[in-house]
Amino acid sequence: MHANISTSPAAARGFLQWAACNKTTGSGSGSGSGSSTYNEGRTQSKKRIPLTVAQREFLSSALRVNQAGELAATLIYTAQTPPVVSREPHLRPLMRHMYEQEAAHFSTFNALIAKHRVRPTALYPVWSLLASGLGWTTGVMGREAAMACTEAVETEIGDHYNAQIRRLLEMVTEWETQGYDVGGEFKDLVVTLRRIRDEELEHLDHAVEHDAKKAEPYWLLTGVIRAGCRGAIWVSERV
Amino acid sequence: MLPLSSPYPATAAARRTLVHHSISLLQSTGPFAATRSLSSSAGAPRPPRPLLSRARLCWTANGSGPAHHRFRAYHSYDHPAPAGPFNEAEEAILAAAYRQVPEHGFSPEALAIGAREAGYLDISTNLLADGPFSLIRWHLVKQREALAARKTVLFPDGATIDNKPVSVSAKVEALTWERLLGNVDIVGRWQEALAMMAQPSCVPASLKELATLADEILFLAGDVAVDSTWYTKRASLSAIYVGADLFMTTDQSPGFQHTHMFLRRRLTEATDVGNAAGSVREWISFTASAGINMLRSKGMRI
Repeated sequence: MHANISTSPAAARGFLQWAACNKTTGSGSGSGSGSSTYNEGRTQSKKRIPLTVAQREFLSSALRVNQAGELAATLIYTAQTPPVVSREPHLRPLMRHMYEQEAAHFSTFNALIAKHRVRPTALYPVWSLLASGLGWTTGVMGREAAMACTEAVETEIGDHYNAQIRRLLEMVTEWETQGYDVGGEFKDLVVTLRRIRDEELEHLDHAVEHDAKKAEPYWLLTGVIRAGCRGAIWVSERV
Repeated sequence: MLPLSSPYPATAAARRTLVHHSISLLQSTGPFAATRSLSSSAGAPRPPRPLLSRARLCWTANGSGPAHHRFRAYHSYDHPAPAGPFNEAEEAILAAAYRQVPEHGFSPEALAIGAREAGYLDISTNLLADGPFSLIRWHLVKQREALAARKTVLFPDGATIDNKPVSVSAKVEALTWERLLGNVDIVGRWQEALAMMAQPSCVPASLKELATLADEILFLAGDVAVDSTWYTKRASLSAIYVGADLFMTTDQSPGFQHTHMFLRRRLTEATDVGNAAGSVREWISFTASAGINMLRSKGMRI
C-alpha cells in the first residue's frame, strides 16, 4: 500500500518535466526548419527512451529468476502439505493460504514472462524436481523443519525482491532526474514486486510463529537451504 | 564475418579508394577508418553524400557482435524499441541492393548496384562488414518483421474457424506459411543463400535469426507457455521451418502446394509427438501420486 504513496509524487514530477520539455522543443521546431527532423527525434526520445542493454538484461533475468522462484515455492508447499497436515490438521488453512498466494505469484510471473517475451529458465525440470524433493523432505521431518524451510527460503527471497525493487527504483529515478517519462509498466512492476515481497515476508512471520526456530538442527537446516536458495538464484539469473 | 571478396569498383578512382580503404582498415580497426578513407576519394565519379559521419556506426551495428540486439531480452511496450540491426546508410544500400537479388543473386554485384542506386559510391559496400551475407540478413530480418503486420490481416480480432476462435497451432501454421511465401520472389536464388548461411562463419548469425523467427511466430500466434515446452516448441518449429525452406527451393508445383502440404504434415507430426509426450507425463504423474496415496492409506507418514 505504501508503494502507491511513494511512487505517485515521483510520477507526477516526471510527467510535469516531460510536459515542460515537450512544450519548449515543440515551439523550437516551428521556427527552425533546417534541423526540424533532429528536433522531432529529440522530442520523441525526450518522452521515453529505449532501455539500455544492461537494463533489458536485468529485467529479463529478474523476471526469469522470479518465475523460477515462485515455481519452486508452489512445489515446496504442494509437497509439504500432505505430510505436515496429516500430523497437524490445524495447519491446513495456513498451508492452503500460503500455497494459494504462491500460486498467484507464479501465475503473475508466468504472465509477465510471456508478455515481455523473456526466455524462461532452461533448468525448469531441475528446479521442479529439487523443490518437490526439498518440500517433501522437510515435510516428512515434521512441522518445525517445514517451517524452518519456509523461514530460510522466504528470508532469501525477501532480500532478493528488495534488491530488485531497489534496482528498479534506481532506474526510474535516473529517468526522472534526466527528465524522461517512465512507462507505466515499470510503475506497475514496482507495485507488484512490493506486494509480492510483503506477502513473502508475511509467510516468514507465519513460519517463525509456528516454531521454525525449534527445528533440529536449526542452524544446519536453514544454513543449507539458504545457501541452496542463493545458488539457485545465481544460476536462474543466468540460465 | 564473411570477407567481401570483390565489390567490383567501376572506376580507377574507386579502385584506388578501395585500396586506401583496406589499408586504413588494416591500420586501424576503429570506427574512424571508414571516414578517413572515404573522405580522401576526391577524384570519385560521383560526389558522395555526407553519409559517413553516420555510416561509421555500422562497425558497431553490424554482424552478430553488438549487444543492442541481444537474444530475446525484455520486450518493453511503453518504451521505444532499441535501434534495429541496420543503420540509415545500410538500410538505403541494402533496400536498393535487395531489388537486384532476383537478377544478380545475393552477391557483391547486387550490393554494388544497390549502393550506386542509393546514391553512394560502389565502395560504400565495404561498410557492410558481412558483405553479401548482410543482404541475406536483410531479407531474413525484413521478412520476419513483416509477419507482425500480416498477423492482423490473417487473424483480425474475433476471427473464427467453424465458429471457434482460431487455435494457436492453426495460427502457427498460417504464419509459418506466410513467412515461407516471403521467399517466393527470390526463391531462385535461395539455394545459394542457404549455402552461404551454412558456412561456418555465418552459422551462428543464421541460427540466431532462425531462433528469433521461431520465437516471433509463436509469440504472434499467441502461445503463452513458459515452461520447458517453451524450448521444445521453438526447437521443433525451427527444424520444421528449415525443412520446409529447403523443400521449397526445389518445389516446382503451382503455388508451392507441395511445400504447403509438406509443412502441414510436419506440423501435424510435431503436434502428435507433443501430445504423446504430454500423455506419457500425465500417466507417470498419475501413477506416482496414486502409489503415494496408497502408501499413505496404509498409514505411512509420507
